[in-house]
Amino acid sequence: MKLMDTGERKHFELRLRKQYGVENPFEDLVLLAAGRGRVRATTKEALEVAKKLRRVQQAGVYIAKISKEDVILSIEGSQVLNGKITKSVLDLDEESAEKWMRAEVLEVRGKYEGKYVVGKCGDLYLGSGRITRDGKLYPQVAKWRRIPVE
Amino acid sequence: MSNLMMSGDFRECLSRIPDLDPELFLESCKRPLPEGFRINTIKSSEENVLKRLRQKGFVFEKIPWARYGYILRDGGELGKTLEHMAGLIYLQGPVSMAPVEVLDPKPGEIVLDLCAAPGSKSTQIAQLLENMGVLVANDVNHERIKALSSNLQRFGVINCVITLTDGRKYPRFARGFFDKVLIDVPCSSLGIISKNWGIAKSWSLGMVERLSRIQYQLLEAGFNCLKPGGVLVYSTCTLTVEENELVIDRLLKNYKNAKLEDIRLPSLKSRNGVVEWSGRRLNPDLEKAVRIMPYDNWAEGFFIAKIIKEVGGNEVNGYR
Repeated sequence: MKLMDTGERKHFELRLRKQYGVENPFEDLVLLAAGRGRVRATTKEALEVAKKLRRVQQAGVYIAKISKEDVILSIEGSQVLNGKITKSVLDLDEESAEKWMRAEVLEVRGKYEGKYVVGKCGDLYLGSGRITRDGKLYPQVAKWRRIPVE
Repeated sequence: MSNLMMSGDFRECLSRIPDLDPELFLESCKRPLPEGFRINTIKSSEENVLKRLRQKGFVFEKIPWARYGYILRDGGELGKTLEHMAGLIYLQGPVSMAPVEVLDPKPGEIVLDLCAAPGSKSTQIAQLLENMGVLVANDVNHERIKALSSNLQRFGVINCVITLTDGRKYPRFARGFFDKVLIDVPCSSLGIISKNWGIAKSWSLGMVERLSRIQYQLLEAGFNCLKPGGVLVYSTCTLTVEENELVIDRLLKNYKNAKLEDIRLPSLKSRNGVVEWSGRRLNPDLEKAVRIMPYDNWAEGFFIAKIIKEVGGNEVNGYR
Protein backbone atom coordinates (compact mmCIF):
# COMPACT_ATOMS: atom_id res chain seq x y z
CA MET A 1 0.00 0.00 0.00
CA LYS A 2 1.44 3.32 -1.06
CA LEU A 3 0.02 6.65 0.03
CA MET A 4 -0.61 9.10 -2.80
CA ASP A 5 1.85 11.92 -2.37
CA THR A 6 0.63 15.51 -2.12
CA GLY A 7 1.42 16.31 -5.75
CA GLU A 8 -0.40 13.22 -7.06
CA ARG A 9 -3.39 13.93 -4.85
CA LYS A 10 -3.56 17.56 -5.99
CA HIS A 11 -3.43 16.50 -9.61
CA PHE A 12 -6.13 13.88 -9.04
CA GLU A 13 -8.40 16.36 -7.24
CA LEU A 14 -7.84 18.97 -9.93
CA ARG A 15 -8.91 16.45 -12.56
CA LEU A 16 -11.99 15.58 -10.53
CA ARG A 17 -12.91 19.26 -10.32
CA LYS A 18 -12.44 19.85 -14.04
CA GLN A 19 -14.16 16.68 -15.20
CA TYR A 20 -16.95 16.27 -12.69
CA GLY A 21 -17.14 19.64 -10.85
CA VAL A 22 -16.22 18.04 -7.54
CA GLU A 23 -14.98 20.35 -4.77
CA ASN A 24 -13.15 18.95 -1.71
CA PRO A 25 -13.72 15.39 -2.85
CA PHE A 26 -12.24 13.21 -0.12
CA GLU A 27 -11.72 15.58 2.81
CA ASP A 28 -11.24 13.04 5.59
CA LEU A 29 -10.12 10.08 3.55
CA VAL A 30 -6.69 8.74 2.81
CA LEU A 31 -5.91 8.06 -0.86
CA LEU A 32 -3.69 5.16 -1.86
CA ALA A 33 -1.89 4.65 -5.14
CA ALA A 34 -2.67 1.06 -6.05
CA GLY A 35 -0.60 0.76 -9.23
CA ARG A 36 -1.38 1.31 -12.92
CA GLY A 37 -3.14 4.60 -12.14
CA ARG A 38 -5.62 3.03 -9.76
CA VAL A 39 -6.66 4.92 -6.66
CA ARG A 40 -8.12 3.46 -3.46
CA ALA A 41 -9.69 5.38 -0.56
CA THR A 42 -9.77 4.45 3.08
CA THR A 43 -10.04 6.09 6.48
CA LYS A 44 -7.12 7.40 8.54
CA GLU A 45 -8.03 5.00 11.31
CA ALA A 46 -8.02 2.00 8.97
CA LEU A 47 -4.60 3.04 7.70
CA GLU A 48 -3.30 3.27 11.28
CA VAL A 49 -4.66 -0.20 12.03
CA ALA A 50 -3.12 -1.55 8.80
CA LYS A 51 0.31 -0.32 9.93
CA LYS A 52 0.10 -2.55 13.00
CA LEU A 53 -0.87 -5.68 11.06
CA ARG A 54 1.06 -8.10 8.88
CA ARG A 55 0.44 -9.39 5.36
CA VAL A 56 -1.98 -6.59 4.55
CA GLN A 57 -3.41 -7.09 1.07
CA GLN A 58 -5.67 -4.09 0.71
CA ALA A 59 -7.39 -1.29 2.53
CA GLY A 60 -10.59 0.57 1.65
CA VAL A 61 -12.19 0.54 -1.78
CA TYR A 62 -11.07 1.11 -5.36
CA ILE A 63 -12.47 4.50 -6.34
CA ALA A 64 -10.90 5.57 -9.63
CA LYS A 65 -8.38 5.04 -12.37
CA ILE A 66 -6.31 7.89 -13.76
CA SER A 67 -5.88 7.29 -17.48
CA LYS A 68 -3.65 9.94 -19.07
CA GLU A 69 -5.49 13.14 -18.16
CA ASP A 70 -8.85 11.52 -17.45
CA VAL A 71 -10.35 10.16 -14.26
CA ILE A 72 -12.56 7.10 -14.60
CA LEU A 73 -14.66 6.65 -11.48
CA SER A 74 -15.58 3.19 -10.25
CA ILE A 75 -19.13 2.54 -9.08
CA GLU A 76 -18.01 2.97 -5.47
CA GLY A 77 -15.90 6.02 -6.34
CA SER A 78 -18.94 7.79 -7.75
CA GLN A 79 -21.00 6.71 -4.74
CA VAL A 80 -18.40 8.02 -2.26
CA LEU A 81 -18.64 11.37 -4.07
CA ASN A 82 -22.43 11.15 -3.96
CA GLY A 83 -23.85 14.68 -4.08
CA LYS A 84 -20.53 16.35 -4.89
CA ILE A 85 -20.57 15.51 -8.59
CA THR A 86 -22.05 18.55 -10.33
CA LYS A 87 -20.79 18.16 -13.91
CA SER A 88 -21.04 15.51 -16.61
CA VAL A 89 -23.82 13.59 -14.89
CA LEU A 90 -26.02 11.50 -17.16
CA ASP A 91 -29.45 10.78 -15.72
CA LEU A 92 -30.59 7.29 -16.58
CA ASP A 93 -34.02 5.73 -16.36
CA GLU A 94 -34.32 2.24 -14.90
CA GLU A 95 -34.09 0.55 -18.28
CA SER A 96 -30.95 2.50 -19.30
CA ALA A 97 -29.40 1.85 -15.88
CA GLU A 98 -29.88 -1.88 -16.40
CA LYS A 99 -28.22 -1.57 -19.81
CA TRP A 100 -25.41 0.43 -18.21
CA MET A 101 -24.84 -2.36 -15.71
CA ARG A 102 -24.72 -4.87 -18.56
CA ALA A 103 -22.07 -2.60 -20.17
CA GLU A 104 -24.24 -2.25 -23.27
CA VAL A 105 -23.48 0.64 -25.60
CA LEU A 106 -25.95 3.50 -25.12
CA GLU A 107 -26.85 6.40 -27.39
CA VAL A 108 -26.39 9.87 -25.88
CA ARG A 109 -28.23 13.02 -26.86
CA GLY A 110 -26.88 16.46 -25.97
CA LYS A 111 -23.31 17.61 -25.52
CA TYR A 112 -20.97 16.78 -22.72
CA GLU A 113 -17.65 18.39 -21.94
CA GLY A 114 -14.87 15.81 -21.92
CA LYS A 115 -14.77 12.15 -22.73
CA TYR A 116 -16.39 10.76 -19.58
CA VAL A 117 -19.74 11.11 -17.82
CA VAL A 118 -21.07 9.64 -14.58
CA GLY A 119 -24.22 7.53 -14.81
CA LYS A 120 -26.95 8.16 -12.25
CA CYS A 121 -30.31 6.47 -11.73
CA GLY A 122 -32.34 8.19 -9.02
CA ASP A 123 -29.95 8.46 -6.09
CA LEU A 124 -27.77 5.63 -7.36
CA TYR A 125 -24.44 6.46 -9.02
CA LEU A 126 -23.02 3.87 -11.41
CA GLY A 127 -19.47 5.05 -12.16
CA SER A 128 -18.02 6.54 -15.34
CA GLY A 129 -18.87 5.89 -18.97
CA ARG A 130 -16.88 6.98 -22.02
CA ILE A 131 -18.58 9.06 -24.73
CA THR A 132 -17.35 8.95 -28.31
CA ARG A 133 -17.69 11.73 -30.87
CA ASP A 134 -20.52 9.91 -32.65
CA GLY A 135 -22.65 10.04 -29.49
CA LYS A 136 -22.10 6.49 -28.25
CA LEU A 137 -21.63 5.80 -24.59
CA TYR A 138 -19.53 2.92 -23.30
CA PRO A 139 -20.17 2.26 -19.58
CA GLN A 140 -16.92 1.41 -17.80
CA VAL A 141 -18.27 -1.44 -15.72
CA ALA A 142 -15.81 -4.14 -14.67
CA LYS A 143 -16.75 -7.58 -16.03
CA TRP A 144 -17.39 -9.04 -12.60
CA ARG A 145 -19.82 -6.20 -11.81
CA ARG A 146 -21.97 -6.60 -14.90
CA ILE A 147 -25.50 -7.97 -14.79
CA PRO A 148 -25.13 -11.37 -16.49
CA VAL A 149 -26.62 -11.48 -19.97
CA GLU A 150 -29.09 -14.36 -20.42
CA MET B 1 -33.85 -39.84 0.41
CA SER B 2 -32.78 -42.35 -2.18
CA ASN B 3 -30.45 -39.86 -3.86
CA LEU B 4 -28.59 -38.67 -0.77
CA MET B 5 -25.41 -40.75 -0.51
CA MET B 6 -24.17 -40.97 3.06
CA SER B 7 -20.82 -42.21 4.30
CA GLY B 8 -20.79 -44.73 7.16
CA ASP B 9 -19.28 -42.12 9.48
CA PHE B 10 -22.06 -39.72 8.55
CA ARG B 11 -24.80 -42.23 9.49
CA GLU B 12 -23.06 -42.95 12.77
CA CYS B 13 -22.57 -39.28 13.52
CA LEU B 14 -26.28 -38.56 13.18
CA SER B 15 -27.00 -40.88 16.07
CA ARG B 16 -24.43 -39.10 18.25
CA ILE B 17 -25.72 -35.55 17.79
CA PRO B 18 -27.73 -34.63 20.89
CA ASP B 19 -31.38 -33.84 20.43
CA LEU B 20 -31.27 -34.49 16.67
CA ASP B 21 -34.39 -35.89 15.00
CA PRO B 22 -32.87 -37.94 12.13
CA GLU B 23 -36.07 -37.96 10.05
CA LEU B 24 -36.55 -34.22 10.22
CA PHE B 25 -32.85 -33.72 9.63
CA LEU B 26 -32.89 -35.82 6.46
CA GLU B 27 -36.00 -33.99 5.29
CA SER B 28 -34.19 -30.69 5.81
CA CYS B 29 -31.40 -31.97 3.55
CA LYS B 30 -33.95 -32.32 0.74
CA ARG B 31 -35.46 -28.87 1.10
CA PRO B 32 -33.77 -25.94 -0.63
CA LEU B 33 -32.59 -23.25 1.78
CA PRO B 34 -34.58 -20.02 1.82
CA GLU B 35 -32.97 -17.15 -0.06
CA GLY B 36 -32.05 -14.37 2.31
CA PHE B 37 -30.64 -10.96 1.61
CA ARG B 38 -29.51 -7.86 3.45
CA ILE B 39 -30.03 -4.25 2.48
CA ASN B 40 -26.75 -2.34 2.31
CA THR B 41 -27.39 0.73 4.40
CA ILE B 42 -23.85 1.99 3.69
CA LYS B 43 -24.99 2.79 0.15
CA SER B 44 -28.66 3.65 0.42
CA SER B 45 -31.57 3.79 2.81
CA GLU B 46 -33.49 0.63 3.61
CA GLU B 47 -36.76 2.17 2.37
CA ASN B 48 -35.29 3.21 -0.98
CA VAL B 49 -33.92 -0.23 -1.74
CA LEU B 50 -37.08 -2.00 -0.64
CA LYS B 51 -39.10 0.35 -2.84
CA ARG B 52 -36.88 -0.47 -5.83
CA LEU B 53 -37.26 -4.21 -5.22
CA ARG B 54 -41.03 -3.99 -4.78
CA GLN B 55 -41.32 -2.06 -8.03
CA LYS B 56 -39.54 -4.93 -9.75
CA GLY B 57 -42.05 -7.41 -8.36
CA PHE B 58 -40.00 -8.99 -5.60
CA VAL B 59 -41.90 -10.25 -2.58
CA PHE B 60 -40.07 -10.65 0.71
CA GLU B 61 -40.48 -10.61 4.45
CA LYS B 62 -38.41 -9.21 7.30
CA ILE B 63 -36.11 -11.50 9.26
CA PRO B 64 -36.88 -10.78 12.94
CA TRP B 65 -33.38 -11.61 14.23
CA ALA B 66 -31.32 -9.64 11.70
CA ARG B 67 -31.36 -5.90 11.18
CA TYR B 68 -31.78 -5.13 7.45
CA GLY B 69 -32.29 -8.86 6.73
CA TYR B 70 -35.10 -10.22 4.52
CA ILE B 71 -36.22 -13.55 3.08
CA LEU B 72 -37.17 -13.59 -0.57
CA ARG B 73 -40.59 -15.16 -1.13
CA ASP B 74 -41.17 -14.49 -4.81
CA GLY B 75 -40.07 -12.44 -7.80
CA GLY B 76 -37.11 -14.11 -9.49
CA GLU B 77 -33.36 -14.19 -9.18
CA LEU B 78 -32.00 -11.42 -6.98
CA GLY B 79 -28.44 -12.30 -7.98
CA LYS B 80 -29.06 -10.99 -11.49
CA THR B 81 -30.47 -7.61 -10.51
CA LEU B 82 -28.96 -4.16 -10.76
CA GLU B 83 -29.45 -3.86 -7.00
CA HIS B 84 -27.20 -6.86 -6.38
CA MET B 85 -24.50 -5.89 -8.89
CA ALA B 86 -24.44 -2.27 -7.70
CA GLY B 87 -24.07 -3.43 -4.08
CA LEU B 88 -27.41 -2.29 -2.70
CA ILE B 89 -28.15 -5.79 -1.43
CA TYR B 90 -26.11 -8.79 -0.31
CA LEU B 91 -27.37 -12.35 -0.67
CA GLN B 92 -26.91 -14.29 2.56
CA GLY B 93 -28.66 -17.17 4.30
CA PRO B 94 -31.06 -15.97 7.00
CA VAL B 95 -29.50 -17.91 9.90
CA SER B 96 -26.01 -17.00 8.71
CA MET B 97 -26.88 -13.41 9.70
CA ALA B 98 -27.28 -14.42 13.35
CA PRO B 99 -23.61 -14.59 14.51
CA VAL B 100 -22.91 -10.95 13.62
CA GLU B 101 -26.15 -9.89 15.30
CA VAL B 102 -24.87 -11.64 18.44
CA LEU B 103 -21.49 -9.91 18.07
CA ASP B 104 -23.36 -6.59 17.70
CA PRO B 105 -20.54 -4.36 16.40
CA LYS B 106 -20.93 -0.68 17.29
CA PRO B 107 -19.70 2.35 15.31
CA GLY B 108 -16.13 3.22 16.29
CA GLU B 109 -15.05 -0.30 17.31
CA ILE B 110 -12.12 -2.21 15.88
CA VAL B 111 -13.44 -5.60 14.80
CA LEU B 112 -11.61 -8.66 13.52
CA ASP B 113 -13.24 -11.28 11.29
CA LEU B 114 -10.58 -13.97 11.50
CA CYS B 115 -11.91 -16.41 8.88
CA ALA B 116 -13.62 -13.84 6.71
CA ALA B 117 -13.88 -15.16 3.12
CA PRO B 118 -16.09 -14.91 1.14
CA GLY B 119 -17.19 -11.92 3.20
CA SER B 120 -20.91 -12.25 4.02
CA LYS B 121 -20.36 -11.66 7.70
CA SER B 122 -17.62 -9.09 7.07
CA THR B 123 -19.99 -6.94 5.04
CA GLN B 124 -22.59 -7.31 7.78
CA ILE B 125 -20.06 -6.17 10.41
CA ALA B 126 -19.09 -3.22 8.18
CA GLN B 127 -22.71 -2.21 7.85
CA LEU B 128 -23.19 -2.14 11.62
CA LEU B 129 -19.97 -0.13 12.05
CA GLU B 130 -21.56 2.54 9.81
CA ASN B 131 -18.15 3.37 8.30
CA MET B 132 -16.81 4.35 11.75
CA GLY B 133 -14.15 2.24 13.41
CA VAL B 134 -12.26 -0.43 11.47
CA LEU B 135 -13.07 -3.87 10.11
CA VAL B 136 -10.11 -6.21 9.71
CA ALA B 137 -11.04 -9.12 7.46
CA ASN B 138 -8.55 -11.98 7.34
CA ASP B 139 -8.39 -15.26 5.52
CA VAL B 140 -5.70 -17.84 4.91
CA ASN B 141 -6.64 -18.73 1.34
CA HIS B 142 -5.44 -16.56 -1.52
CA GLU B 143 -8.29 -17.55 -3.89
CA ARG B 144 -10.92 -16.94 -1.23
CA ILE B 145 -9.38 -13.54 -0.46
CA LYS B 146 -10.27 -12.48 -4.00
CA ALA B 147 -13.94 -13.16 -3.33
CA LEU B 148 -13.68 -11.34 0.01
CA SER B 149 -12.08 -8.35 -1.64
CA SER B 150 -14.73 -8.23 -4.38
CA ASN B 151 -17.56 -8.41 -1.88
CA LEU B 152 -16.14 -5.67 0.34
CA GLN B 153 -15.65 -3.53 -2.78
CA ARG B 154 -19.20 -4.13 -4.01
CA PHE B 155 -20.52 -3.32 -0.55
CA GLY B 156 -18.49 -0.06 -0.49
CA VAL B 157 -16.63 -0.70 2.77
CA ILE B 158 -14.11 2.13 3.11
CA ASN B 159 -12.97 1.41 6.66
CA CYS B 160 -11.64 -2.09 6.03
CA VAL B 161 -8.26 -3.78 5.97
CA ILE B 162 -7.80 -7.19 4.33
CA THR B 163 -5.03 -9.48 5.53
CA LEU B 164 -3.93 -12.84 4.16
CA THR B 165 -2.48 -14.97 6.90
CA ASP B 166 -3.06 -18.03 9.02
CA GLY B 167 -5.46 -16.75 11.68
CA ARG B 168 -3.68 -18.84 14.30
CA LYS B 169 -0.67 -16.52 13.99
CA TYR B 170 -2.64 -13.32 14.60
CA PRO B 171 -1.75 -12.91 18.32
CA ARG B 172 1.92 -12.61 17.34
CA PHE B 173 1.24 -9.06 16.18
CA ALA B 174 -2.28 -8.16 17.34
CA ARG B 175 -2.54 -9.49 20.89
CA GLY B 176 -5.17 -7.58 22.91
CA PHE B 177 -5.88 -5.25 19.99
CA PHE B 178 -9.54 -5.75 19.04
CA ASP B 179 -12.82 -4.71 20.65
CA LYS B 180 -14.67 -7.57 19.01
CA VAL B 181 -13.70 -10.74 17.18
CA LEU B 182 -15.76 -13.07 15.01
CA ILE B 183 -14.50 -16.64 14.61
CA ASP B 184 -16.69 -18.28 11.98
CA VAL B 185 -14.50 -21.32 11.58
CA PRO B 186 -14.20 -23.84 8.76
CA CYS B 187 -16.34 -26.82 9.78
CA SER B 188 -17.88 -30.09 8.62
CA SER B 189 -20.98 -28.18 7.40
CA LEU B 190 -23.75 -30.50 8.62
CA GLY B 191 -26.06 -27.50 8.84
CA ILE B 192 -25.97 -26.74 5.12
CA ILE B 193 -26.16 -30.16 3.49
CA SER B 194 -29.11 -29.12 1.34
CA LYS B 195 -26.71 -26.72 -0.42
CA ASN B 196 -24.28 -29.50 -1.21
CA TRP B 197 -25.13 -33.19 -0.88
CA GLY B 198 -21.48 -34.04 -1.42
CA ILE B 199 -20.90 -33.17 2.24
CA ALA B 200 -22.83 -36.27 3.38
CA LYS B 201 -20.91 -38.51 1.01
CA SER B 202 -17.43 -37.37 1.94
CA TRP B 203 -18.09 -36.74 5.63
CA SER B 204 -15.71 -38.52 8.02
CA LEU B 205 -14.89 -38.59 11.72
CA GLY B 206 -11.23 -38.04 10.86
CA MET B 207 -12.19 -34.75 9.22
CA VAL B 208 -14.08 -33.71 12.36
CA GLU B 209 -11.06 -34.49 14.55
CA ARG B 210 -8.75 -32.51 12.30
CA LEU B 211 -11.15 -29.59 12.06
CA SER B 212 -11.78 -29.44 15.81
CA ARG B 213 -8.04 -29.04 16.45
CA ILE B 214 -7.85 -26.13 14.00
CA GLN B 215 -11.07 -24.67 15.38
CA TYR B 216 -9.66 -24.57 18.90
CA GLN B 217 -6.43 -22.99 17.69
CA LEU B 218 -8.37 -20.31 15.82
CA LEU B 219 -10.64 -19.69 18.80
CA GLU B 220 -7.67 -19.35 21.14
CA ALA B 221 -5.93 -16.98 18.71
CA GLY B 222 -9.06 -14.87 18.40
CA PHE B 223 -9.49 -14.76 22.16
CA ASN B 224 -5.88 -13.61 22.59
CA CYS B 225 -6.48 -10.82 20.09
CA LEU B 226 -9.33 -9.42 22.21
CA LYS B 227 -8.91 -6.44 24.49
CA PRO B 228 -9.92 -7.09 28.11
CA GLY B 229 -13.68 -6.54 28.21
CA GLY B 230 -13.92 -7.46 24.54
CA VAL B 231 -16.51 -9.76 22.97
CA LEU B 232 -15.89 -12.80 20.80
CA VAL B 233 -18.46 -14.80 18.86
CA TYR B 234 -17.63 -18.35 17.78
CA SER B 235 -19.85 -19.88 15.14
CA THR B 236 -20.04 -22.91 12.90
CA CYS B 237 -22.58 -24.21 10.42
CA THR B 238 -22.29 -27.71 11.83
CA LEU B 239 -23.87 -29.72 14.63
CA THR B 240 -21.19 -32.03 16.04
CA VAL B 241 -20.33 -31.53 19.70
CA GLU B 242 -16.63 -32.00 18.87
CA GLU B 243 -16.62 -28.87 16.70
CA ASN B 244 -18.82 -26.81 18.97
CA GLU B 245 -19.24 -27.33 22.73
CA LEU B 246 -15.97 -29.28 23.18
CA VAL B 247 -14.01 -26.47 21.51
CA ILE B 248 -15.58 -23.85 23.77
CA ASP B 249 -15.27 -26.08 26.85
CA ARG B 250 -11.52 -26.34 26.24
CA LEU B 251 -11.16 -22.55 26.05
CA LEU B 252 -13.16 -22.10 29.28
CA LYS B 253 -10.88 -24.62 30.99
CA ASN B 254 -7.72 -22.93 29.76
CA TYR B 255 -8.71 -19.30 30.23
CA LYS B 256 -10.29 -18.25 33.51
CA ASN B 257 -11.17 -14.84 32.08
CA ALA B 258 -13.30 -16.36 29.30
CA LYS B 259 -16.99 -16.26 30.20
CA LEU B 260 -19.98 -17.32 28.18
CA GLU B 261 -22.84 -14.86 27.80
CA ASP B 262 -26.52 -15.38 27.06
CA ILE B 263 -27.66 -15.00 23.45
CA ARG B 264 -30.94 -13.43 22.41
CA LEU B 265 -32.17 -13.82 18.86
CA PRO B 266 -35.84 -12.86 18.53
CA SER B 267 -38.07 -15.44 16.84
CA LEU B 268 -35.17 -17.69 15.84
CA LYS B 269 -35.98 -21.20 17.00
CA SER B 270 -32.98 -22.71 18.75
CA ARG B 271 -31.94 -24.90 21.67
CA ASN B 272 -29.35 -24.58 24.41
CA GLY B 273 -25.78 -25.79 24.08
CA VAL B 274 -24.97 -29.27 25.40
CA VAL B 275 -23.54 -29.56 28.93
CA GLU B 276 -23.17 -33.32 29.10
CA TRP B 277 -22.02 -35.56 26.28
CA SER B 278 -20.72 -39.07 25.89
CA GLY B 279 -20.41 -39.47 29.67
CA ARG B 280 -18.51 -36.17 30.01
CA ARG B 281 -19.72 -33.23 32.04
CA LEU B 282 -18.93 -29.99 30.26
CA ASN B 283 -18.91 -26.44 31.63
CA PRO B 284 -22.51 -25.76 32.73
CA ASP B 285 -22.37 -22.29 31.17
CA LEU B 286 -22.36 -23.98 27.77
CA GLU B 287 -26.13 -23.99 27.94
CA LYS B 288 -25.82 -20.28 27.11
CA ALA B 289 -24.59 -21.21 23.63
CA VAL B 290 -27.22 -21.92 20.98
CA ARG B 291 -27.66 -24.86 18.62
CA ILE B 292 -29.88 -24.34 15.64
CA MET B 293 -31.01 -27.44 13.77
CA PRO B 294 -31.69 -27.03 10.04
CA TYR B 295 -35.32 -28.09 10.62
CA ASP B 296 -35.82 -25.62 13.49
CA ASN B 297 -36.37 -22.79 11.02
CA TRP B 298 -36.14 -24.78 7.76
CA ALA B 299 -32.97 -22.87 7.04
CA GLU B 300 -29.25 -23.36 7.82
CA GLY B 301 -28.15 -25.20 10.96
CA PHE B 302 -25.73 -23.26 13.16
CA PHE B 303 -23.95 -23.19 16.49
CA ILE B 304 -23.21 -19.84 18.14
CA ALA B 305 -21.39 -19.00 21.36
CA LYS B 306 -20.73 -15.53 22.77
CA ILE B 307 -17.65 -15.15 24.96
CA ILE B 308 -16.55 -12.15 27.02
CA LYS B 309 -12.94 -11.61 27.97
CA GLU B 310 -13.20 -10.43 31.53
CA VAL B 311 -11.10 -7.51 32.71
CA GLY B 312 -8.38 -8.67 35.12
CA GLY B 313 -8.03 -12.23 36.39
CA ASN B 314 -5.56 -14.85 35.28
CA GLU B 315 -5.44 -15.19 31.57
CA VAL B 316 -4.21 -18.75 31.34
CA ASN B 317 -4.89 -21.65 33.64
CA GLY B 318 -2.25 -24.24 34.33
CA TYR B 319 -3.67 -26.82 31.97
CA ARG B 320 -3.43 -26.14 28.24
